[in-house]
Amino acid sequence: MAKSLLVISRQAPWSGPSAREALDIVLAGGAFDLPIGLLFLDDGVFQLAPQQDAKAVQQKDLSANLQALGLFGIDDVFACRHSLAERGLASPASAQTLDSADICKLIDRYDQVMTL
Amino acid sequence: MSTLHVVSHSPFADSRLDSCLRVCGSADAILLCGDGAYGLHNPALPTKGVKVFVLAEELQARNLPLPDWADSVDYPGFVQLSIDYDKVNSWL
Repeated sequence: MAKSLLVISRQAPWSGPSAREALDIVLAGGAFDLPIGLLFLDDGVFQLAPQQDAKAVQQKDLSANLQALGLFGIDDVFACRHSLAERGLASPASAQTLDSADICKLIDRYDQVMTL
Repeated sequence: MSTLHVVSHSPFADSRLDSCLRVCGSADAILLCGDGAYGLHNPALPTKGVKVFVLAEELQARNLPLPDWADSVDYPGFVQLSIDYDKVNSWL
């Protein structure tokens, strides 16, 4: 049995390569059928905001990668409720919102954790 | 399962340590290295009941006193901690 991996993405979408890299790691893991989860924490929750236009800042769109998660068999996608509330964001449709105690249990459940 | 959280950024410039403390479990520990050592000045740190370790040379370099609620470790100690805990979560 492969080790399970939780990727915690905590960078805003256009602040650097971390957001895209976290998604790439998760999608690559999904392509190999690894048990993998993705948690959006802190500024990472900004990746889930709807109707972003990456072209306006000469970046590549991340929404296609986000939509691909389901196709790659990644169903364990979570967002931190505290981070969303802090930033005035509504609960996203594409991720399950978790409070801090649930996130603690989530991290506990996985064999390995990677925070970007 | 226990997690060793490694924090290397100052908590006064960044939210890593705050977020780490929010999601930390009672069996977890935090290792402060680099500017993360300034986390010893964070009043929230000793109130969470989580074990706190700090790299000795970071303390020495910054002339930070070691509070009684934290333990200092050297690099072999760092390696030992990463073995003792089930997993390591580096807050990059």
